[in-house]
Amino acid sequence: MKFGLFYELQTPKPYDRETWDPDDERRVFHEMLDQVELADQLGFDYVFEVEHHFLEEYSHSSAPELMMAALSQRTKQIRLGHGIVLTPPPYNHPARVAERIAALDILSNGRVEFGTGESASEMELGGFGVDRGLKKSMWEEATREIANMMVSEPYAGFDGEFFAMPARNVIPKPVQKPHPPMWVAASRRETTMVAARFGIASLGFGFETPEELGDRANEYYRLLREESMPIGHALNPGLAVLNTFMMGKTDAEAIRRSAGGPGFFAHSLGYYYTPATGASHPPGGRNLYRAYRDASPERAAQADTEQRGFLSEAEIRKGEPEDEVQRALYRAARSGNAIGSTKRLRKTLKLYEAQHLDVMVFVAQAGDRKHEHIMESIDQFGRELLPEFHERHETVHRAWREQRLRGLEFPINSSI
Amino acid sequence: MATPDEVVHPELRELLQSAHGLMRSGKATDAVRTLANAYLLLLSLKPELLEQAVSTMSGRTVPTVMRWPALGADLNVDSVLAKQPRIEFTRDRFALSEAMTYYEFALETAIAAGA
Repeated sequence: MKFGLFYELQTPKPYDRETWDPDDERRVFHEMLDQVELADQLGFDYVFEVEHHFLEEYSHSSAPELMMAALSQRTKQIRLGHGIVLTPPPYNHPARVAERIAALDILSNGRVEFGTGESASEMELGGFGVDRGLKKSMWEEATREIANMMVSEPYAGFDGEFFAMPARNVIPKPVQKPHPPMWVAASRRETTMVAARFGIASLGFGFETPEELGDRANEYYRLLREESMPIGHALNPGLAVLNTFMMGKTDAEAIRRSAGGPGFFAHSLGYYYTPATGASHPPGGRNLYRAYRDASPERAAQADTEQRGFLSEAEIRKGEPEDEVQRALYRAARSGNAIGSTKRLRKTLKLYEAQHLDVMVFVAQAGDRKHEHIMESIDQFGRELLPEFHERHETVHRAWREQRLRGLEFPINSSI
Repeated sequence: MATPDEVVHPELRELLQSAHGLMRSGKATDAVRTLANAYLLLLSLKPELLEQAVSTMSGRTVPTVMRWPALGADLNVDSVLAKQPRIEFTRDRFALSEAMTYYEFALETAIAAGA
């Protein structure tokens, strides 16, 4: 199993004010650069950064390509993942995406992971005039054409349902051939299976348990093997899932450090992605962090995190929403799977490893968590756990993957 | 490993197999229309599905069958509440990813319901 860090660039407002401190955004951006630089030095495999727009406090990461460009000059080996680029054309013209991905691949000497997706919040869809019912179709058309642009010299042009352009040579071309590994964001099981059929990796936002992950991995690799209809020019087989992450010398210390992270993450995510609240958000006019702190159910959820880390999987599932998306939110707030001491993380992460997860992506920067605690957690994980998981990745997991991918008729470009 | 072969009811199984074939041959729109028929057949075979509700984090409950993706072949809410489910097509063209999404959902739901 490989490991990554995940960034929304969460920037909560101060509790007692209606807007941010003047230095808040600068501080959060530069803290991320420092955290990823350290992760790179310790051997973390990936960083993934979202593209979101207008989601105040929840995500200030509207220009991830710039953060990635900065990171390309401050890091040496870590893979630079878009987690994801919004590919429906109203957000980003497909040719501009192809150009930016290629330019970043050149700057980073071939370290780009090209994650794709659609987003689902009304703030973003409405802000850019994307029809909710058409967004998946837009994603597919644009993503396929972006891959074509990266390999075609010249690109023959396109007259599609959602965008058209004449023949042009879209330059530069990426370092990785035929193009960087492709991913899609998947918050539902169905999308993971779309990823399998399209031959791309699934970046899972469902906070799956190890047991669920095992079923999903088997079905994903079966479909990839038997039913691939690649959307790109090379397959990128892979399953990644998100998990909330914080470490300490003891479980209790990690839990204390973590508080205010997952709870705010889920509160603000739920706020923007629930139509009743997200669609009526007054731009510039709400303090979500204060609402989170003052909301008693969220406080209860935060307190509950303390217990969940020590419950069985069956006990963890009790009281969870049945709806898959709602369950993901619930787990984002409450899951304690990657929160704890070295001993605890070793034990829980091995459960995922046993289910053949390819990549675990940690959400460390969230809510009001402290930069120094995130740095110490990255350092602790990198020194005390990463090497043994890497070793088993090479000696055990790689063979498992090769067995599943044997006989595939398509080329593969994967960093896993 | 979910495949249409696990579906017991012959007509439903045939619809899902047909949709799978259409999807594999790139006929996404035909696949979606076939899957809409399959889902409505499933709801007629298992009317108890219309009675089930799924809980959300806020404590609200919504009809479980409404989890059918709203990608242009949309399940009408009022028809579900009236126990006469109807799917309305808001578009006449579908993409492969949409067909794949509908297929996975219909197949999983059918198998889970023991249809």
